[in-house]
Amino acid sequence: MPTVVRCWRCQDEHTPQVFCPACEALQLLPPDIDYFTVFGLARAPMLDEQALAKTYYALSRQLHPDLHQTGTAEEQEASLQNTAVVNRAYRTLRDPVQRGRYWLELNGEQLGKENNKIPPALALFVFEVQEKLAAVREAQSAGTSGALTGLKAELDQVRDDLDNRTRGLQQKLAANFSKWAQANGSSELLGELKRVLSDMAYLRTLTRDMDKALSTL
Amino acid sequence: MEHIVGIDLGTTNSLIAYVDEAGPQVIADSATGQKMLPSIVSFLPNDRVVVGREAGELARTQPLSTIRSVKRFMGLGMEHVSPDDRKRYRFVDDQGDSASLVRFAIHDRQVTPPEVSAVILRALRDRAAAALQEEVGKVVITVPAYFNDSQRQATKDAGKLAGLEVIRLLNEPTAAALAYGLNTKEEGLIAVYDFGGGTFDVSILRLQTGIFEVLSTNGNTRLGGDDIDQSIAERFLLTDLDEELRGDLQVLNGALRAAEKAKQVLSEQDETILNLAVPSSGVQISRRLSRHEMEAAVDEIVARTLEPCRQALKDAGLETQDIEEVVLVGGSTRMPLVRQRVGEFFGRTPLTDIDPDEVVALGAGVQADTLSGRRRDMLLLDVVPLSLGIETMGGVMSHLIERNTTIPASVKEMFTTAVDDQTAVAVHVLQGERELVQDCRSLARFSIPIEPKPAGVPRVEVTFMIDANGILNVSATDLRTGLERSLEVKPSYGLTDEEVERLLEESIDFAEEDIEQRLLIEARTEADTVLHATDKALSQNASFLQEGEEEQIAQVVQKVREACAGEDYDLIRDLTEELSQVTTPFAQRIMDSSIQEALGEKQLSDL
Ligand SMILES: Nc1ncnc2c1ncn2[C@@H]1O[C@H](COP(=O)(O)OP(=O)(O)OP(=O)(O)O)[C@@H](O)[C@H]1O
Ligand SMILES: [Mg+2]
Ligand SMILES: [Zn+2]
Repeated sequence: MPTVVRCWRCQDEHTPQVFCPACEALQLLPPDIDYFTVFGLARAPMLDEQALAKTYYALSRQLHPDLHQTGTAEEQEASLQNTAVVNRAYRTLRDPVQRGRYWLELNGEQLGKENNKIPPALALFVFEVQEKLAAVREAQSAGTSGALTGLKAELDQVRDDLDNRTRGLQQKLAANFSKWAQANGSSELLGELKRVLSDMAYLRTLTRDMDKALSTL
Repeated sequence: MEHIVGIDLGTTNSLIAYVDEAGPQVIADSATGQKMLPSIVSFLPNDRVVVGREAGELARTQPLSTIRSVKRFMGLGMEHVSPDDRKRYRFVDDQGDSASLVRFAIHDRQVTPPEVSAVILRALRDRAAAALQEEVGKVVITVPAYFNDSQRQATKDAGKLAGLEVIRLLNEPTAAALAYGLNTKEEGLIAVYDFGGGTFDVSILRLQTGIFEVLSTNGNTRLGGDDIDQSIAERFLLTDLDEELRGDLQVLNGALRAAEKAKQVLSEQDETILNLAVPSSGVQISRRLSRHEMEAAVDEIVARTLEPCRQALKDAGLETQDIEEVVLVGGSTRMPLVRQRVGEFFGRTPLTDIDPDEVVALGAGVQADTLSGRRRDMLLLDVVPLSLGIETMGGVMSHLIERNTTIPASVKEMFTTAVDDQTAVAVHVLQGERELVQDCRSLARFSIPIEPKPAGVPRVEVTFMIDANGILNVSATDLRTGLERSLEVKPSYGLTDEEVERLLEESIDFAEEDIEQRLLIEARTEADTVLHATDKALSQNASFLQEGEEEQIAQVVQKVREACAGEDYDLIRDLTEELSQVTTPFAQRIMDSSIQEALGEKQLSDL
């Protein structure tokens, strides 16, 4: 990301920001600006989600294309592009899992392939879920509705279990984020963070599969 | 500052609104005082068009050249045309290999859905220009939230063809929320349930000081009051007829109108009479229909609106009990059954105190006001209704932008080559939620020009940008040279830019029918109806005639026929009125004998 940019209207040179400090014209954000900087935040995985939302709404009120319809072509274009960047940044940062992964990427780390492997701590649970899903498919193709009603109850229970585990991981993630903020990172902590993030990503996929199956019942 | 007006381009009815010192208001037709313009367009053989109520009257005699509910065809291809559609209109099937966009065959010309919509837009524009005493150039047009990219693009094309600059396409439920929220200054989570003539939408919004944030949306762009009419007509009128009569266009259209009329009466009453009389085909059906019977028949259609509601809630991460208010929009929400089902689903009584006909147009007017720079105190944050993606290996769709992402939304994707000296990369853009390309809607194809280089060396970055209208724009940059590459995007089901240009020039031929002509047609149609009814009654119920009555009626019939051959529409009207009057006692006697208790004073043409 460039450290200094030039205003399209008054040619003032300044650090990347939404409005020119000299003439207040809307500026096109650099294409590679990081999402934390968009919101004026430090690059850290822990953040105040309510404050983030507030900043998002405030920025939208300044940037949105609806409010620049009467502006010059440059302003309209900057408004469109910037709003798209802000929207994407908000979508990523408001969700702890996406935020964690994005933050890892910013720091040259990746969840990478481990993502698709079953996390060891979840292996038993995943096995149970897959078994139930397979049973549903079998009952459906055999057309045995009696078996399905029983399975539905079991699936609902597993679904609750899934929600509980997800909540547990959310707390763990938040705790890790805050530890990171205090200790400013050890490789041990980084490993733990990655583990929690992959577990969460895995649970999400599982949740999606389950919901798909449940919606066919 | 010039006015920007807001247009609700509905399947059944269209309206135009603007904002002045007194607030948002719908503009009525200066001659009739009507605010709703029926979305019906009739093409006359002389390259003239008639729109609105008069076109509706023409539909009786010219069903093939009169298009209703054109919105249901916007942005579709010939393969989406259903057997039922084919019963009602003629289409151009043989369009060569590529262009498969829906085209109606009317008289000796081809007419696309955007052209038909453009006629409606022009009529509304003229109405507004007359009321505001100024040219109307810039407009906001509403579209169903669940409209895909092609349907939106078609709406924009319609605006262009009407000589309008469409500065924003606005989602209908969002427009309704805007009009509703401004009225009540409400905060919190609301659901907007919009069930109109041809489309169904549901949107979940968070309202907070001046921000209307759409959290999720879902729907069905081919589900509405039209389907309810169809179901009633089939179940209670057409079943009794033989195959040939069921295929008769006049019978079919008559049945649909009769069904719609009965449906509307049943929103107020427990029972009505379904009447279908097509003298030319010898069809005469009159049967009692209770609300209960009708509800049992159409419950399945109403139930189909609930799954989208469930999905929208889920996508917003909410449960029904989180929703603080349910707002009903669209004519079909006047049905007690709809209110009941929606109430049961959300576990609360839906709000019905805003006018479901006007609220979308009013919201469009409000948004037009914001876009014109007059007000800055409120902001809409809307979403894209369907996921956007591209075709990848094995016919699988790879998602680039997920549904319910806030717009404008953009994503960059890198493309390279697979073989040495490849000069282009083909990209197929899709919209939909399913995994396989064949189950998604094809939006467009384009090809990225590439300089010949060894495989994998070229690096072109394509930006997919969904703008504030929910319409996709693509651009490409060669990362090695930093140069922009121009892309020629070919829409799968749309007009090309050249075609829009050509039609724009041609559309001058479509002079609007002058009012004299319109009134004449209308008067003749009216006279026709009464004449038909009279003939039928005389031939079928002659036993009810009294002394001298037949001669008296015959005299007036003769006078009406003579007048219809002339151009004096006032005379035709007066004589038609006279004919109705002289036949009323006769009609009364017929009625008294058959279904007396269910009917009040009626005329022959109501039978
Ligand atoms: N009293 C009523 N009872 C039942 N249905 C009604 C009543 N009044 C109108 N309708 C139906 O409402 C539909 C028209 O509604 P509306 O004008 O909201 O649709 P639209 O805006 O033209 O369509 P869309 O929003 O789907 O494009 C028609 O199907 C009509 O029959
Ligand atoms: Mg509508
Ligand atoms: Zn400046």
